[in-house]
Amino acid sequence: MSILIAALLLLLAATGAGVVLTRAPRRQVLALSVNGLVLALLFMALQAPDVAFAEITVGAAAVPLLFLIVLASMKMDRSPRPPDEP
Amino acid sequence: MNLLPWLVAAWLLGIGLYGIVTSRNYVHLIGCLAVVQSATYVLLLAAGYRWNAIAPIFYNHPPGTPAVDPVVQALVLTDVVIGATVTALLLALALQLHKRRETLDPEDLRPLRP
Amino acid sequence: MTPKLRLALFLLACIVTLPAILLLALHMPAFGAHPLPYGDAIDAAAPGERHISNMVSAINFDYRGFDTLGEEFMLLCAVTGTVVLLRGSRGEALEARPGIVKGRRILPRSDAVVLIGRLFAPLIMLFGIYVAVHAMTTPGGGFQGGVIAATSALLVFFGDGYHGWRGVMKSQVLDALEGGGAALYALCGFASMAIGAPFLTNFLPLGTLKDVWSGGLMLVENAGVACAVGGGFAMIFLEFLEETRTKKGGAKE
Repeated sequence: MSILIAALLLLLAATGAGVVLTRAPRRQVLALSVNGLVLALLFMALQAPDVAFAEITVGAAAVPLLFLIVLASMKMDRSPRPPDEP
Repeated sequence: MNLLPWLVAAWLLGIGLYGIVTSRNYVHLIGCLAVVQSATYVLLLAAGYRWNAIAPIFYNHPPGTPAVDPVVQALVLTDVVIGATVTALLLALALQLHKRRETLDPEDLRPLRP
Repeated sequence: MTPKLRLALFLLACIVTLPAILLLALHMPAFGAHPLPYGDAIDAAAPGERHISNMVSAINFDYRGFDTLGEEFMLLCAVTGTVVLLRGSRGEALEARPGIVKGRRILPRSDAVVLIGRLFAPLIMLFGIYVAVHAMTTPGGGFQGGVIAATSALLVFFGDGYHGWRGVMKSQVLDALEGGGAALYALCGFASMAIGAPFLTNFLPLGTLKDVWSGGLMLVENAGVACAVGGGFAMIFLEFLEETRTKKGGAKE
């Protein structure tokens, strides 16, 4: 049990560094998702199932999705267009 | 092993702050803020842990078996959900900033430069 | 302040605080020694006093229910801020056309994706409601269940596209869910004041241990939190996805 917690803590340190050192926002989204997953596994190993529930959904699905939507909508072409163009 | 959780929490805080300080893109900065927040979660939950204890749910075990601390779990639980909402608010701010100024680089967005 | 100067100041701050952090780490209690007495007191007292078996829910909705009220309103403020920022600059109209990115075609949806979206969205919403309802007996609760149910709404978007999704998600319904959930939580407190007890006292019958409908007032508060969190997250997704549509007409941002 202690080897599991120690290994997860070291993995979390590595993925946290991965999130920071990935400078391109597109790739950082995937690093965030992996970080959320490792965090949820660590919470399960520390006997906290409630928190792991919330962290899996939020950290691996909801927050990276918000990042992706924001990045996609920044690349959009927002110039004015005439009303009857398809 | 005794020091590892505290050191990992300090490491995550430090490297998250390093990312915020040297970031060149506001969306990247919000991701680094999420790393800083996760440092506090690790610290709180590691402070409440107890060896060979069960989760604080007394459905299959009788009340009275040694369990890990439920107070810090309640704190971290609400923190995770509300932290995601605040991240959404920050992303909305970044999106509005991009719409007005066409750039997301903190160096190009000084208020007093013409 | 140039970037190099900022980085140099940060490294200086790190070097100054590093001995303090190491000293602190050496003086922290040993990992697993667990010297915190509040949690042990709650573990010993709560199943007998409140008849529920999920200690985290007991703390969130009963022993520290006032803090959860504050968190609810923080969530309400953050969602309101997001909606005001995004909808305020975009207007209330629903746009029919997807956003245009130069050089990228919009591909049609494949049948497998549509099928999976339609199959799994109701299943995951049911799972979210199950997790939220079983707050008092198993790991779960309003916060987790609300987020899972809101994420299931995205599977509708995944499977049926924007028009199917806007047909299902009416923003008035989401507003009512979110505000109504927070109001329900606050009303629970005022209801207990109406009978003469302090704010947020558990005055409903408590039920039996290990029953789903145990806990008294905690069930109502749990329902309020689930509605507010689910509605809030779905509102956030809605606002962000509306940002990816094209505006009609000539108004430039």
